Amino acid sequence: MYRLRFHGRGGQGARVASKVLGTAAFLDGYYAQDFPLYGAERRGAPVAASTRIAEDPIMERGVIPEPDIVIVMDETLLQDPLTMPLSGLKPGGIVIINTTNSPAEAKAEYKINANVLTLGITKIGLDMLGMPILSTLAGGVAARIVGLSEDSLTEAVKKVLSSIITDKKLLDKNVAAALYCFNAITPIETKIELKTIDTNKKKSTVISLPFEPAAVSSPAINATGNTPLRMTGNWRVFRPAWNYEACTRCMICVARCPDGCILINEDGYPYTDYDNCKGCLICVEECPTNTLGKVMEVHAKKVIGN
Amino acid sequence: MAGNGAIKRDGGKGVKDMVMERIKSIKDIPPEENMLPGTPTCAGCGGLLALRHCMKALGRKIVIVNAAGCFTLLTIYPYTPFKNSWLYTAMACAPAGAQGIRDALDILIKKGRLDPDENLKVVVLTGDGSAYDMSLSSTSGAINRNLDFYYICYDNEAYGNTGVQWSGATPFASKTGTTPPGMLSPIGAELAKKDLFAIWNSHKPPYLATISPAHPVDLINKFKKAEQYKGPKLFIALSPCPPGWGIDPSYTVKLAKLAVDTGVWALKEAVFGNLKHTVVPKRFKPVEEYLKVQGRFAHLFKPVRQEGALNKIQEGVDEYWNRHKLLL
Ligand SMILES: Cc1ncc(C[n+]2csc(CCOP(=O)(O)OP(=O)(O)O)c2C)c(N)n1
Ligand code: SF4
Repeated sequence: MYRLRFHGRGGQGARVASKVLGTAAFLDGYYAQDFPLYGAERRGAPVAASTRIAEDPIMERGVIPEPDIVIVMDETLLQDPLTMPLSGLKPGGIVIINTTNSPAEAKAEYKINANVLTLGITKIGLDMLGMPILSTLAGGVAARIVGLSEDSLTEAVKKVLSSIITDKKLLDKNVAAALYCFNAITPIETKIELKTIDTNKKKSTVISLPFEPAAVSSPAINATGNTPLRMTGNWRVFRPAWNYEACTRCMICVARCPDGCILINEDGYPYTDYDNCKGCLICVEECPTNTLGKVMEVHAKKVIGN
Repeated sequence: MAGNGAIKRDGGKGVKDMVMERIKSIKDIPPEENMLPGTPTCAGCGGLLALRHCMKALGRKIVIVNAAGCFTLLTIYPYTPFKNSWLYTAMACAPAGAQGIRDALDILIKKGRLDPDENLKVVVLTGDGSAYDMSLSSTSGAINRNLDFYYICYDNEAYGNTGVQWSGATPFASKTGTTPPGMLSPIGAELAKKDLFAIWNSHKPPYLATISPAHPVDLINKFKKAEQYKGPKLFIALSPCPPGWGIDPSYTVKLAKLAVDTGVWALKEAVFGNLKHTVVPKRFKPVEEYLKVQGRFAHLFKPVRQEGALNKIQEGVDEYWNRHKLLL
């Protein structure tokens, strides 16, 4: 059985990617499961989804703790201690990373001890769809790795997307982008068996909790104002970039930022708190002068573009 | 500098001293941030922008009573963006929670166990699913009892936290998870949005207003005006929601402005039931401008234009402003 885990950020399409893959596998005659990990996190926050593919009926349920293949749709997640996308990856497993770096560079940078494939699908998404929504692209990459057919992938993209979007042109662009990614990847020889041999039947790991009164068992936060520790700055796909020549210190950007991430320096000029800015880009949209522009974020720290 | 912690406006003295002058422009917005960044709300959340300004107007001597919804994620153990206290309640009973806290504070003050200067404003915070549907009766009771509290409803026109399902606040012809446009109903939601303002106003509360994240000056002045009244002070903020409404996160403020400029969202206040509009566009833009930029209304334009539904929406807006004799 193939066990795959997709890691992305809310809005990037990890859930739909797993669905495209599962549907394509089903159309190719396999048994398949796909499902997101439910969490109360939202657009920009780390999310995960899983797909299982096998020749026999799949008796396993629930999250995949030990995947054969991990698809990292957002590179910044590799450094996120709360996500740890590679946790549980089986020895000899495969990691596909959305990055413009080469596999060797990615392996060195993130100290990965597994087979690594890379493809810059954000760039492909922006070029081919005009937006950084990567569901069908990641689905296409994964379909190639597990050896599914182009026809089933095409059908799966159409089937899954037609229940989400009504725009026929956008649907066609998604099919093209999925096939482009499918063909841009050179699969690695794997030794993963499609016949289900091992199942995850281990001893129950459910911990039994003793009864405690509410004062003990309900969570209470005794700190104040500590959310900046969460550093939501790594949610960004684009970052707001400043060029102060035209800035009139009108304070419009400050008033428009939902998160309060625009601060004022001693000379009265606004600047971004990049540790926490989620990259909504309302400031860029609202600035009445040309002071604010946007630059694509490649890493959490590095910046490319102008 | 913003966010350095000094509370200038109330000088730490107490609620009475807080009544502040009306502000005139964006530059007059108090710089103190009473809600810090790093929360898990979506990038570009319109409700969060509205709340940020509400928090500036309210100051730090408050306690928030939050019914389940997106904003209960603001405080997830062990993090909180607030400097004030915060309590989580079930969806139907935030106003009842507020009653309990108000009573407790009053009793403590009366018994001399709490310095009156330490008094707190009790602020209910809920989404529209709570306000329009589940907690309608407990809010009605609280207003009727003249409970001294604030109510902020961030109205994203759906049950956002659970993945955008239809609520009593969902507008006619909107697509939600439970009103998908399709063979049975090509227009999506078939029912009209409830008029919560009118429902609440029928109780003649001391202060009631609609607000918008794109009009922070109007928003803050309304809070300042509300402050002089004892009893319920209620606010409804139309809050563009990027994932729920199908818009780019950068478009939140533009859309909130369009809602006002097209007449879809009337900015108004009512003092003991007496209604006044606070922002009336000089010339109303066609409602279509507001609808066509949102994914949740895309089915009204593609693959075929649903003229009937579009006309019905425009007529609804015109009827409102005609009724109030403000349509020029
Ligand atoms: C009585 C009850 N029913 C259902 C839920 C599950 N639930 C949690 S948040 C939520 C959505 C609330 O929607 P809304 O009040 O509009 O706020 P939003 O999520 O849009 O911020 C629901 C249904 C609940 N907590 N309590
Ligand atoms: S779902 Fe909508 S209301 Fe909820 S946090 Fe996201 S943008 Fe805000």
